[in-house]
Amino acid sequence: MSAAKHSQAMHFQARAGKEVRNAVLQRALQKAKPLFVGKRAKGIAALSEDKLEFEALRTACEDIRNRVLTDLDVWLAIFEERARASGAEVLWARDGDEICRHVVDVARQHGVTKATKSKSMLSEEARLNEALAAAGIRPVETDLGEYIVQLAGETPSHIIAPAVHKTIGDVEALFAKEHGRPVETRTSADIPAMAREAREVLRQHFLSAEMGISGANFLIAETGTAALVTNEGNGRMVTTLPKVHVVITGIEKIVPTLEDFATLMRLLPRSATGQSISNYVSLLTGTKQPGDSDGPEKTVFILVDNGRANLLGSAYQDMLRCIRCGACMNHCPVYFSLGGHAYGWVYPGPMGSVLTPLYTGIENALDLPHASTGCNQCGSVCPVRIPLPKLMHRLREEQVERGLRPWSESFGLKAWALVAGKPALYRWVMRRAARYLNWLADGSGSIRIFGLAPGWTAGRDLPVSSGKTFHELYAARKRA
Amino acid sequence: MSARDEILKRVRAGVGKDDFSARRALAEAYMAERKRGPQPTLGAELAVRFKSKAESLSSSVEVLPERAEAPAAVARYLTAGGFGLQAVITGDVAGLDWTGSGLTVAARPAVDADKVGISGCFCAVAETGTLMLLSGPETPATVSLLPETHIALVEVSRIVATMEDAFALLRAERGDLPRAINFISGPSRTGDIEQTIVLGAHGPCRVHLILTGTNP
Ligand code: SF4
Repeated sequence: MSAAKHSQAMHFQARAGKEVRNAVLQRALQKAKPLFVGKRAKGIAALSEDKLEFEALRTACEDIRNRVLTDLDVWLAIFEERARASGAEVLWARDGDEICRHVVDVARQHGVTKATKSKSMLSEEARLNEALAAAGIRPVETDLGEYIVQLAGETPSHIIAPAVHKTIGDVEALFAKEHGRPVETRTSADIPAMAREAREVLRQHFLSAEMGISGANFLIAETGTAALVTNEGNGRMVTTLPKVHVVITGIEKIVPTLEDFATLMRLLPRSATGQSISNYVSLLTGTKQPGDSDGPEKTVFILVDNGRANLLGSAYQDMLRCIRCGACMNHCPVYFSLGGHAYGWVYPGPMGSVLTPLYTGIENALDLPHASTGCNQCGSVCPVRIPLPKLMHRLREEQVERGLRPWSESFGLKAWALVAGKPALYRWVMRRAARYLNWLADGSGSIRIFGLAPGWTAGRDLPVSSGKTFHELYAARKRA
Repeated sequence: MSARDEILKRVRAGVGKDDFSARRALAEAYMAERKRGPQPTLGAELAVRFKSKAESLSSSVEVLPERAEAPAAVARYLTAGGFGLQAVITGDVAGLDWTGSGLTVAARPAVDADKVGISGCFCAVAETGTLMLLSGPETPATVSLLPETHIALVEVSRIVATMEDAFALLRAERGDLPRAINFISGPSRTGDIEQTIVLGAHGPCRVHLILTGTNP
C-alpha cells in the first residue's frame, strides 16, 4: 500500500474537529452547498423535457460500467491494441511511484522543463507535482481551482471544485503574491477580473510548456481514445499545444464504444454541475497526423492500478463503476460540515470514505467508513448507482472482523448486549442514565460538553430527555 | 515481472474467468452492434432546438438563408462588438468572399495574438446545442481555441439530433477518427472562485454562430 504513506486519513477525527470550528471554511461550504444541490436537481429535472428518465439512464450507465468491469482483462487488451495502432504509447504503472517514474522518464527523453496539467486525480494519488519538481520540471496546474490550490501549497478539497474551500480574499492574496502585485480589496464583482488575470498568466504557460499532462474521464476501447471533459478549455490547451501529451488514468476507466460514451455523457455533466453538456468534450486519438499543425508528436497513456485490480471480484467491485462526478459529496451532510481536507487523502466525501480505506489500507483509515449519517443521499444521486452506504457498512464489518476497532468500543457493545438481554437490569440502567443526563443538562435540555465522548459534542450540543426513560413515558401514556 | 504483466495477472484473477478468446469475440460483437442507450425525443425541429440550446449556453446565433451572406454578417457582428476586422480562419470556410465584406482573413493555425477565429464545423448536435469540430490540416484546432472570439458557420443540413448521430455521420463519411474531435458548447467558463460563473476561462470568451441554409 504505497499510497498509505501520503494519507492523513487516520487523523480524521482531529481534522474534523478543527474544520468544524473553522468559520471561514464553514462560510465557503454553506455558500456552495445549495448551489451544487440546486444545479444538479435542475439538470436532472430537465431530462424529462426530452422524455428521458433518470432511472433508465442510470441503469444504462450502470450496465456499461459493469460490462467493462466483469471482463476488464478483455477490454484492457482491446484498448491497448487500438491505442497503439493509432500511434500512442501505452505504459502501465502498479502504483503512484511508478507513475512518477514514467512521467519523469518521458519528460527527460523529450527535454521537458515545464509541464502544464489539466486536472488528474491520479496525479494527486501519485503526488506527481512533487516528483516533477524534484526532477527539475516545473508542473503548472491550469484548471483555475487547481491553480489556486497549487499556489496555496494545498491539495484539492473537492474532485470537481478543487478550491471550493477558498474565499475570494484567499484567492486575491495568492494571486497578488504569485503575480507580483499589491493585494487589493475584492468583492464578487471583481471575480471576472481575477479570472482574466489567471487566464493571461496561464496562457503564457500553455504556449511555452513542452509537455501536457491530463487525466481522462473515459478511455474508449473501440477506438483507443481518451475522452476529456472540461469547462475552462484547459484540457484542450494541454492536449493541443505541447509536443508531448501524457494521459494518466486508472485501468477501470474504459468504456466499450462511442455510443456508450454518449450515454454516460447524458449523466456525467448533469450529476456534476447540472449542465446538459460541459463546454468542451474532446476525444483524443493517437498523435499529430501528417499535415496537422497542432497536437502532440508523442502521446503516452499510463494505465494505473494502484489498488484497483484488487477490488475486482471483491465485495467492493461496484466502487470501480465510479465516474468521478462528485454528486455524492455534493449531497453529503458530513462533507458539508467538514470540507474535503478532513478526509486526509485524494478523494473526499462518500466515495472517498470507501476508496481511501480500499486504496491505502483499511487499517489506515479507520474513521472514514463511519463518516456517514446513514441518510443515503449519496446512494440515491450516484449516476452509476453505487451503493455507497452499503460499501461503508461492509468496511465497518471488516474492521470488526479483523479486530481493528478500539477495545472500548467492543467492550461497550458487549456490555450493552449483556444488559439488553436482561429486561429488569436494562430498565434499571436506563433509569439511572436518563436521570444522570438530565442532571448534566441542568434543566436546559441539552449538554454542551459531554465528558464520556467530548469529540461528539465538539461541534454540536447533545439533546437529552426529560429525565424519564422511554419505558416510563410509554407506561404513563398507556395509563392516561 | 513487468508492471503490465503483474497488473493484468491481478485483473484476470479478479475477473475470475478463463475463456479469454470467447469473451473477446463477444466484446467485438458488442462493439460492432453499436448499441445506443435511451435516446431523447426532441420536441422541436432540429435547427430550432439547436439554436435555443446554443443560446442557453451563452452563444449568440444569427440565422441567414444563404452561406454567401455570412461574411457580411460576420463583418457586422465584429464591427458592432468592436472586435476588429482581422481573423484567422479554417480552410473549410476560407473560400467565401471575406475580403468583399471588408475582412482580412488568414487561413492558417491560430497564434496567441489572433483576436478572432472563424471556423466551419463537421456537424452540430441539436440535443445540446453543440458544435463538432475535427482536427486536420485544413482545420487546425487552435482556431477555435486561442482567439477570444470564435465564430462558427453551421449549415442547417449538418445538424443532427444526438452525439450518437454525429458519430454515425463521422463513421459514414470519414472512417477513422481524427487526432482530435472537439465538441464545443458555448464560450469557455469557470466557477472556481466562489462558484461565480465567469465566461472566458482559457478558451474563447464569446462564441457566435451563423446558421445558414434550410433543411433539405
Ligand atoms: S461514487 Fe457515484 S456520485 Fe460519487 S463521484 Fe463516483 S459516480 Fe459520482
